Amino acid sequence: MDPSEVEFLAEKEFVKIIPNFSLDKIYLIGGDLGPFNPGLSVDVPVWLALNLKQRQKCRILPPEWMDVEKLEEIRELERKEDTFTPAPSPYYMELTKLLLNHASDNIPKADEIRTLVKDIWDTRVAKLRLSADSFIRQQEAHAQLDNLTLMEINTIREFLLDSLNCMYKLRSNLQPGATKGQFADY
Amino acid sequence: MPCERKPMRYGHSEGHTEVCFDDTGRYIVTCGNDGDVRIWESLDDDDPKFITVGEKAYSLALKKGKLVTASSSNTVQIHTFPDGDPDGILTRFTTNATHVTFNRSGTRVAAGSSDFMVKVVEVSDSSQQKTLRGHEAPVLSVTFDPKDEYLASSSCDGSVVVWSIEQQTQVISWPLLQKTNDVSNATSLCRLAFQPAAGKFLAVPVETRVHLYERGSWDHVGSLSDELLTQPVNVAAWSPCGRFLAAGAIGGLLTIWDVNSRLVVERQKHEKGFTVCSLAWHPSGSQIAYTDTEGCLGLLDGLGTSGTGTSSTKAPAAKPKDYDDLFDEDDDRLMDEGLSDANSPVKKAAEDEDDDDFLIPSTGRVRNRGAILNDENSLDTGSLKLGQDKFGDDEDDDAGSSVAPATAQRPVYDGPVPTPPQKAFQPGATPAHLTHRFMMWNSVGIVRGYNDEQDNAIDVEFHDTAVHHAMHLTNSLGHTMADLSQEAVLLACPSTDDLASKLQCLHFSCWDTSKEWMVDLPQGEDVKALCLGQGWAAVATSALLLRLFSVGGVQREIFSLPGPVVCMAGHGEQLLLVYHRATGFDGEQALGIQLLQFGRRKRQLMNGEPLPLSPKSYLSWAGFTAEGTACYVDSNGLVRMLNRALGNTWTPVCNTRETCKSKSDHYWVVGAHENPQQLRCIPCKGSRYPPTLPRPAVAILPFKLPLCQTSTEKGQMEEQYWRSVLFHNHYSFLSSSGYEVDEAAQTQSDKEQQELLMKMFALSCKLEREFRCVELAELMTQNVVTLAIRYASRSRRMNLAQRLSEIALEKSTQLQEDEEPEDEPDYRQSEPYNTRQNEEDDEEEQVEEEDGREMETEETKRREFSPPFLSSNILDNMRSSRKLAPLSGSAGKPSKGPVLKPLAPRTKAKAQSTLLQISSNKMPSKKTPEAAEPAADLQKQPDVVAPPAENTENKRPKTGFQLWLDENRKIIIANNPDLDETDVIKEAMGRFRTMSADERLSWTERAKGQSGDAADVKKRKRAENEVVESDESNARKKSSSLDPSSKLSAFAFSKN
Repeated sequence: MDPSEVEFLAEKEFVKIIPNFSLDKIYLIGGDLGPFNPGLSVDVPVWLALNLKQRQKCRILPPEWMDVEKLEEIRELERKEDTFTPAPSPYYMELTKLLLNHASDNIPKADEIRTLVKDIWDTRVAKLRLSADSFIRQQEAHAQLDNLTLMEINTIREFLLDSLNCMYKLRSNLQPGATKGQFADY
Repeated sequence: MPCERKPMRYGHSEGHTEVCFDDTGRYIVTCGNDGDVRIWESLDDDDPKFITVGEKAYSLALKKGKLVTASSSNTVQIHTFPDGDPDGILTRFTTNATHVTFNRSGTRVAAGSSDFMVKVVEVSDSSQQKTLRGHEAPVLSVTFDPKDEYLASSSCDGSVVVWSIEQQTQVISWPLLQKTNDVSNATSLCRLAFQPAAGKFLAVPVETRVHLYERGSWDHVGSLSDELLTQPVNVAAWSPCGRFLAAGAIGGLLTIWDVNSRLVVERQKHEKGFTVCSLAWHPSGSQIAYTDTEGCLGLLDGLGTSGTGTSSTKAPAAKPKDYDDLFDEDDDRLMDEGLSDANSPVKKAAEDEDDDDFLIPSTGRVRNRGAILNDENSLDTGSLKLGQDKFGDDEDDDAGSSVAPATAQRPVYDGPVPTPPQKAFQPGATPAHLTHRFMMWNSVGIVRGYNDEQDNAIDVEFHDTAVHHAMHLTNSLGHTMADLSQEAVLLACPSTDDLASKLQCLHFSCWDTSKEWMVDLPQGEDVKALCLGQGWAAVATSALLLRLFSVGGVQREIFSLPGPVVCMAGHGEQLLLVYHRATGFDGEQALGIQLLQFGRRKRQLMNGEPLPLSPKSYLSWAGFTAEGTACYVDSNGLVRMLNRALGNTWTPVCNTRETCKSKSDHYWVVGAHENPQQLRCIPCKGSRYPPTLPRPAVAILPFKLPLCQTSTEKGQMEEQYWRSVLFHNHYSFLSSSGYEVDEAAQTQSDKEQQELLMKMFALSCKLEREFRCVELAELMTQNVVTLAIRYASRSRRMNLAQRLSEIALEKSTQLQEDEEPEDEPDYRQSEPYNTRQNEEDDEEEQVEEEDGREMETEETKRREFSPPFLSSNILDNMRSSRKLAPLSGSAGKPSKGPVLKPLAPRTKAKAQSTLLQISSNKMPSKKTPEAAEPAADLQKQPDVVAPPAENTENKRPKTGFQLWLDENRKIIIANNPDLDETDVIKEAMGRFRTMSADERLSWTERAKGQSGDAADVKKRKRAENEVVESDESNARKKSSSLDPSSKLSAFAFSKN
């Protein structure tokens, strides 16, 4: 899975915008949106919000969790805990990137938020690597990781699976009596 | 003790906070860690004036219009009060000052500092300073001797020192306190105080007690203590009269002693137990303001009464000693009387006299009280008087020569106090004194005003950028008021010394090139309020004039206002004007409202009616909903809307405070919509209005009528119903004033209301409340009543069903009466009926009914068979009903046909029978007309009424279904030629079931009619006509009303 695909999925998340135009309900396959009243907040998917924003048709209201204090709390918690804490949003990384790249003028303290989210991300990915490392080291058959977001899984999936495969091959070759023919196709 | 502790309110950010009253006692002044000095008009003042004095303010003192503060810049500064203009720096220290205080006359200021020094400075000439050196640690507190001879100070080095100011030497020093190195570490702030007036004592808080030292001899003459006081006393303060001493302690305990008796007269606990760090008595001695270390401000009110309470308790307490043997039992009585009396307002008024001079006034008062009491107590007055005299003697040397507080001398007026009238404001604007503020926030856009050092500008922004792009204007004229509409921005400034008050209009929707106009108001006339409507602008001025302009700048009408304007709002052609009708009393505002309509027919819709407000509140917003209904919000957060349907009354539709989490949160209303029902407002945390940054977001509150028991299903539905009714009033208004009305939305709302009524009806039925059902039915439209009838009969409430049918009939006649006027005349001309000529009088109503029905059905057909019009009509109706029913679909809106149809023929047969009679003769009489009608049709119009003709051949009684089947068999067969007989019946069954219940009912009835009477239809018909003629003079309505019930009973019967 490509990161851009994950981002695409994230664009289905809803954010609040304040439109500066007026439009009746619009009926889309994914559901009805609107009505849009100038000055009144309305929930729209991120893709639409960004599109409207680029055309200067709205202001985006940052999601509730995109707030310096809340993120600081989450960061501290994330650092304190050994396991993964629930992420502020299942698409927190993608949303932060999308919103801050396109609508940083509507988000107070955008730079701080960017740093904080990056910190959280780094902490989580470090944990992920660490657990992958111990998983392999201890030659476990299975492990459970809670509260991972799609993007995080995505970053490690390819590498982890390939390396596990590889190691499996190596190990099975080492073991006496292992039939070579099994892996002939490789 | 009768003393009211007002709830604490947020004053400053967390940290040491100080409080004092101004000389008049009008303002409470506080300073705190946020570096602001706030001037509160009362504890409830949500918008206190503030003066920023530094980063932090450690202490303040206020006297004679001079505000002295100790700020973090290590200076002691003066500001003027209440304007807050800086008035120089009084003195400096090498570190911050910890406490500042004025002497009694206000000529000197003493300041203690963390650099161990105490300075005494002349206010008029800050170069005249005296420095008192000797403390070995930061100074905690300083206080002047009222005679200006001495100064006492406490310090972190543990000492309390009395200084001679002139000689700048220590007079005496007591090591009383714990040693610390800094004020922040001190257990107690040790705010000591000299007794005012006589200045006999110096009070020093030491641990959990307050020591009293006698001035001059400096002997420790006693301590005030209380067993409940377990934590160190932070601050001591004398009442202005010098008789009471209040102390605030760590842990939040407030204690008041009577110094003479050394008894506690009042104890209060801080509501959250925070440390009290400052105390101030109101100059009248009736209130104590206090602050805590969390920055909150509190108030104890009504202390005056507690003061007298003690004096009277004390008097009898002193008396028994001397006169025990004389008045043993009455004493207690009297004491009780005195205590209870202490709560009366009369007593409160007398309290001050009793403080300054006990001899004459107190005797007078006591005598009065004796007169009020009964005879046996009149004896006691003497004793009481003596007791008080004695008591007065004791104290004479303290109080005698002293100057009584200024308030004491004044005659006390105890009646209602006039409320200061609220100032004119623009709805949707934040206060004018803010540097960044909203000048207008409405449904069109936002006008922001900036007025700081760099910039004096106005930003106009539109919610809908399609209206106009955002504008940035330099505000060189100093505009303070603004309004915004789809057409223009209107700005106004007050007059200055050399410039007249100006009105400026940016008419951006103008199609020529000059988009701006400006008007100067005559000299001495100021703009107080303004608003924009569609094509006009209105300005209310200080000369009590309302000036109307066209939006292009043409001066239009001008008229006088009945009172000073409070605010105005415009919408379309309507102008809402709120003004002061009179002076309000006791916190109330007396406002009046005018609602004018311009445009083609100018008129006044509301003519200065009083504007209802919540108790002790003022107007905070007024305007129109998007649909043009006037509404307003008062300071208690109650939103009221104009109810045009109830004679322009005001209905509370929302209480914004109900949704607030905390007491100091508010909603700042910016607009209202009736469809959808939305109150648009901005939630403000801890204030009444929002700051401009961060940009506030609009929230939506639902409306809710404050009906009773809205937690129950019944209450809920009632609320929904009446809200729906109220919020759809605007349709009639809009259509009457020539606007386009959204028909779909209107029918939708009607439907919603009727559905609610039906639900309530069902609920009442379930609760066995039949009377209530009938009441509800009266609110329903006629169509829904028939539904209700069906519901009632299905749940076997025949009595109810009958009553409902009466209502249904009434409604139908009403409906026809409404419709009638238009067609009646030509109906009569074009349709000369025989019958009508015969029975002209009594047939009139009948005709009307017919007429209404005819409207629905095909007129042509009716004309074809004119003579026996009854039957033809019914047939028409039946046919039409059958045709209509599938179209109208659900039961929600059955066509008119089914309801009306059976009414007409019924009329005559039934005349004036009682309920019982009705039920007994219902069956036959009902059948006749119905049966008659197909037969008649058969004769006259064989081709049209073929199915009934078939029916007459049937000898055997038929069911309604069979009847229907007979008529529709051909169609079914035609549609499905391959079906055999049973399948046809099955198919027919299915179709019959899908028909509306009404239709089925009619078929059933027909079947019944035929089964009984098919054979001799004609005879019956003739007979019926005879009946009709004989009964013609009887009340028609009554009889016809029975019809639905009979119909119903038929239904019930078939069900059984």
